[in-house]
Amino acid sequence: MIGDIDQSSAIRLDGVTARLGDTVALDDVTLHLDDARIAVIGANGSGKSTFARLVGGLTRATLGSVQVHGVDAAKDTATLRRLVSIVFSNPDAQIVMPTVAEDVAFSLRGTKASKADIAAQVADALDEFGLTALADRSAYELSGGQKQLLALCGAVIRRPALLIADEPTAYLDARNSAAVADHLLHPEAGHQLLLVTHDLELAARCDTALLFDGGRVVAQGAPDDVIAAYRASLRA
Amino acid sequence: MITLYRPGSGWLHRAPAGPKALGILVVVLAISLLPTSWWTAGIATTVTVLAYLVSGLGLGELGRQLLLIRWIITITVAGQLLFLDVESAVSNTSRIVAAILLAALLVLSTRVADLLDAFERVLQPLGRFGVDPSRIALMLAVAINTVPVLARLATSVREAQRARGAGSNLVTFVVPFLVVSLKHADELGEALTARGVR
Repeated sequence: MIGDIDQSSAIRLDGVTARLGDTVALDDVTLHLDDARIAVIGANGSGKSTFARLVGGLTRATLGSVQVHGVDAAKDTATLRRLVSIVFSNPDAQIVMPTVAEDVAFSLRGTKASKADIAAQVADALDEFGLTALADRSAYELSGGQKQLLALCGAVIRRPALLIADEPTAYLDARNSAAVADHLLHPEAGHQLLLVTHDLELAARCDTALLFDGGRVVAQGAPDDVIAAYRASLRA
Repeated sequence: MITLYRPGSGWLHRAPAGPKALGILVVVLAISLLPTSWWTAGIATTVTVLAYLVSGLGLGELGRQLLLIRWIITITVAGQLLFLDVESAVSNTSRIVAAILLAALLVLSTRVADLLDAFERVLQPLGRFGVDPSRIALMLAVAINTVPVLARLATSVREAQRARGAGSNLVTFVVPFLVVSLKHADELGEALTARGVR
């Protein structure tokens, strides 16, 4: 078990092909993933982001089926949206409300929670991410690292079964990258993590890793082995 | 930066967003309907100064807001002096400036989330005609927040062009600015989807 997640029904792709225009972004991919922290690595254009977007319900498969914690991504997108949170690489594009606290609370809009309950959840989440002192600050005046922590906070407060992070440290310096990574890879996070990254040190901290190349999974298993395979492919 | 809210605990901050908006609207309308005279300029100025003082925001905030709209004041006065006498120009400008500054009290003392909640409540009756108040409120929130983002994107485009030796040219600015703006719109749309917005 990963927190309260049923591992028997985690991420399942069966014969998935995804075409983006004339390009085949994913080519007949079959995967069953039950690990808590999954790293996805590969060169630009290898298909790893398309894979993450398919699992997150942002893109539909041209062929095959995608199941996330028992939910068919093509048939029940509303349920999928409740199960999955996504953090993207550009933190600026993820800010919706003007202040830090309001932006985190935005994630709970539309839930049945009362105002007081939302305020309490927001206060707890801001505390967890070290953002309490910035609660009333303009979200746009934060540093890149603080913005990404805010985006992560806004994603996690929804208590997703699966958190997808698509190159979440791409815009960050080493210190901010480490802060975001520590939150992402926390062993008691309570959700499954799908981490798409070019940072091989981050990938090494996951429980399993996938290597994409040309829209196919060319290596899968222990992160150290998959990273070694990736490095070997770069030298070839 | 368009984030106008100033944290505070005064009575204006504590007042519910809906009645507060209505109250400010009434005061603004009353000032707008005063006859054109020196008296009106005096009343508009006095009401505005008093409103900032009793709200707890203070004269410092009033000065800051005046500085933000200095070009509106300049253009309004100059434009009217071309066609009207001094008394009318000053009176009309005072009413306009008072209306802007009093309206600013609403956003200075109310979180956007509370404004959106009030807006949603007001629009609730339109639900029976197929209008989704939460979507309209969300659209407003996104519109409010997109202004500073677009300003920053415009600065980035200008800086990138200067770095490559290009001068100030509206045509060469517009195309890349549109491209990055549309890219931002795409990314924001996906981020909203990812945060559970239908």
